[in-house]
Amino acid sequence: MGLFSSINTAATGLSAQRLRLDVIANNIANVDTTRTPEGGPFRRSRVIFRPRVSQPYYRSPFLPAALDNGVGRGVRVVSVQKDMDQKPRLVYDPTHPDAIQSGPRKGYVEMPNVNVVNEMVDMMSASRSYEANVALVNGSKSMFNRALEIGR
Amino acid sequence: MFLNNSFGKTVDILHRTMDVNSLRRQVIADNIANSDTPNFKRSTVNFESQLRRALASEQLSGRLKAAMTNSRHIPFEKTMDYRDVRPRRVLDYLTTSKNNGNNVDIEEEMMLALQNQMSYDLMTRAISNQFTQVNIVLR
Repeated sequence: MGLFSSINTAATGLSAQRLRLDVIANNIANVDTTRTPEGGPFRRSRVIFRPRVSQPYYRSPFLPAALDNGVGRGVRVVSVQKDMDQKPRLVYDPTHPDAIQSGPRKGYVEMPNVNVVNEMVDMMSASRSYEANVALVNGSKSMFNRALEIGR
Repeated sequence: MFLNNSFGKTVDILHRTMDVNSLRRQVIADNIANSDTPNFKRSTVNFESQLRRALASEQLSGRLKAAMTNSRHIPFEKTMDYRDVRPRRVLDYLTTSKNNGNNVDIEEEMMLALQNQMSYDLMTRAISNQFTQVNIVLR
């Protein structure tokens, strides 16, 4: 347990939320992208978080010392995943160059499965979490400054 | 250091409590950093109540005592040394406040962080006062 551990822990939260904001910005920017290198419309991405120190699943408030992995060290981004669960949105636009040419869905364009409202709500949530981490870093800083004044 | 007088003991208790505050801040930082992690459960640190019990148990002299005629008798109240009190991290595993199994309430954590910061500031000031008093005597 070092002096700056709490700042480092909050910093992991900062970088994770920043990455989440970047991914959300990318989703919103690509809200109308119908063409991607891998084919098909753009799929929204989502960020998967995991604690850095994972404690064993133990249904008791008191973990035995042998199983304890120590104090948590913040959050880690495991991966940025494409959301393939939600189907692309279909919009009728026969003149669009990417419109489906044949079949029952003739004339429809596959649009990305990005829901702008969801993304905006996620963005608010991410930026609030970011602010919470910033507030914690500032608080820790002033705490340690106060500790340096002992004996002055 | 000078543990047999009031100055040394006060500084020692403050030192221990500040250490625990630092640990608690780390736990709060971890809770806040993981406020969006699925299935994460928040932790807290228990220390002050145990410390209070230990300090109160040192002043038991006037109380009723059990007559202990055998080495295996159990005393009514045991005196605890406050130096043996260790902070305990406790997992809040029962509650769930979000759909993803996470139970970090960001407002509550921020409040705890502020409380933690203010009590740390208070203790630094108390330690400074202790040293100022010694300086006054030395002058």
